[in-house]
Amino acid sequence: MSRHEHVYVLNVMSDDHPGIVAAVTGAVESLGGNIDACSQTVLGGYFTLIMIVSLPERIEPERLADQVRQAESSGSQYQVVVRHAPPEDAFAPSEPSDRFVITAFGTDQPGIVRRFSRYLAGKDVNIVDLYGDRRGDEFVLIGQLEVPTRWDIRMLQADLEQMGQELDFTVKLQHENVFVATNQLRLTRSPLASRPSPLAPRP
Amino acid sequence: MLRTDEILSTIEMLHAEHLDVRTVTLALNLDDCAAPSVDHLCKKLRQKIVSRTSRLVEVCDRVGSKYGIPLTNKRLAISPASTLLAGHGRAAAVEVARTLDTTAARCGVDFVGGFTALVQKGITPADDLLIHSLPEVLSVTQRVCASVNVASRKAGINMDAIHEMGHVLLAIAQATADRRGFGCAKLCVFANIPEDNPFMAGAYVGSGEPEASVNIGVSGPGVVGSALRRRLAMGEKLTLGDLAEEIKITSFRVTRVGELIGREVAAELGLAFGIVDLSLAPTPTVGDSVGEILKTLGISRIGAPGSTAAMALLNDAVKKGGLFASSSVGGLSGAFIPVSEDAALADAVGQGHLVLEKLEAMTSVCSVGLDMIAIPGDTPSETIAALIADEMAIGVMNDKTAACRLIPVPGAKAGDVVDFGGLFGSMPVAEVRNAGASQQFVHFGGRIPAPLQSLRN
Repeated sequence: MSRHEHVYVLNVMSDDHPGIVAAVTGAVESLGGNIDACSQTVLGGYFTLIMIVSLPERIEPERLADQVRQAESSGSQYQVVVRHAPPEDAFAPSEPSDRFVITAFGTDQPGIVRRFSRYLAGKDVNIVDLYGDRRGDEFVLIGQLEVPTRWDIRMLQADLEQMGQELDFTVKLQHENVFVATNQLRLTRSPLASRPSPLAPRP
Repeated sequence: MLRTDEILSTIEMLHAEHLDVRTVTLALNLDDCAAPSVDHLCKKLRQKIVSRTSRLVEVCDRVGSKYGIPLTNKRLAISPASTLLAGHGRAAAVEVARTLDTTAARCGVDFVGGFTALVQKGITPADDLLIHSLPEVLSVTQRVCASVNVASRKAGINMDAIHEMGHVLLAIAQATADRRGFGCAKLCVFANIPEDNPFMAGAYVGSGEPEASVNIGVSGPGVVGSALRRRLAMGEKLTLGDLAEEIKITSFRVTRVGELIGREVAAELGLAFGIVDLSLAPTPTVGDSVGEILKTLGISRIGAPGSTAAMALLNDAVKKGGLFASSSVGGLSGAFIPVSEDAALADAVGQGHLVLEKLEAMTSVCSVGLDMIAIPGDTPSETIAALIADEMAIGVMNDKTAACRLIPVPGAKAGDVVDFGGLFGSMPVAEVRNAGASQQFVHFGGRIPAPLQSLRN
């Protein structure tokens, strides 16, 4: 829920150093804005930040971007993109889905992320979080996914395992609850509550 | 959102350390199958078991695939068969067992437990029938598992029943002599038998249990061992308290998996979820061993002084972690030490480090008891009975479950190696010292009275 009426999505990339968040948020505040949500990550020495920012007055997105660029004072350069943000409900999932995690491990080679993501896109699977890392000659890929409940998971698993075999990768597609159960104290979400199984007991 | 390190650590548990759900056991009450004619009784058994169990394997496979966890064994536990045999003759016992065997096979179930008699205070004619049918039943069936409860905290120890079990074990061993007495591996003699145990051979459905429910047995000696080794490899100075903490955390994680799977399988089958049994159940696979955990805890020869204390630490930490993970903990829920099924324990027996007396001491602080131990085939029945009586005393006096699964291997002497195959593993036959020196004690018979519940020093 936004504090102000006019909502923007702000994306900043820079080489990583102390003070970036302070500089960016200072620029937002100078326009009377509020930070409604933010997420940042650092990868390979590069910093990237995405923010949902709301302002009391409507301005051109480029004005906000300029304000952020000018806030930089350490000699590096911010790459900034700002857009008007559509209403939150524009991103509501169009069909029921369940949360799964894909993991793939194997010898690094070009095209791994493309192969798997293209397959998932073809099944209308949404990637909500993606992590990849090259360790020595090995590559590990982890994706947190929203998988439409219309698919039989065992068929997707069979397809992904087949792709894995072709690439000499170990690929697993598992419901997120097993990761929640083994790592977090929160309760797992009941998959049966969100998705009546054809084999569930009839009332 | 999950963190990457969380996902990687779970993947490690599942795929590198081979965490599995050891058993999904459907617990089913069959009391309403009782009938005056054996044919009608068996027909009702077939109908009820098939109607309740036929989807078990398919549902387990689907749920296992969804979470990427093998649900290794699908099993059936039934209410005590002795109830069904009341009023019937010897032929009925074998016929009922054959029916359970073939129906379990039809449902894809690998073992059916509950060929059970509860005789802690006395033996009914039906119990007597069941007990004396065991040599034939356990030799002509593949999947039927039996248990006899001969002692309890409230009733004391039925020495008449134990004396009889000494004879029966030798008879079972003779009836399955071609398989090195393997029939005895399918029989547990209990004190304080749990009503909801999902593990074989002792699974059955006790009184007070629902009509049908799903009980889960998790595993994870390999996972606990790996967690300890990983912690030790960090190079910091650790105390036994730190290692207990590591076991506790791992047990929590393993038990949460069991609960997740159990609830989903039960819901899909339209049945009540019963319990998670958080026992550490070893297999002969290298690494999946309770004995190796003891070695990691610093006992370089299993059976050396310190083994009982290390076992106590392990058993207690497993329980503490598991109990926080689930409000439905039941069954045996401790660390098992089935000797032939645990390569490190079997090796320690072969090396002469681990003897029967030390195993007995260790069972006073861990789950089950003298489990899967091959002994010489010429051990006198009274000595077998006395071994059972000792273990039952540990259970009764300490208010815990205790059990014996002793296998007197026909023709075998101490030190001979016997292989029972598959999950049952192999081991050198253990020496029974002082054989023949308990005769008079056992021949007194009667009942050792129930113990005092206070002044417990």
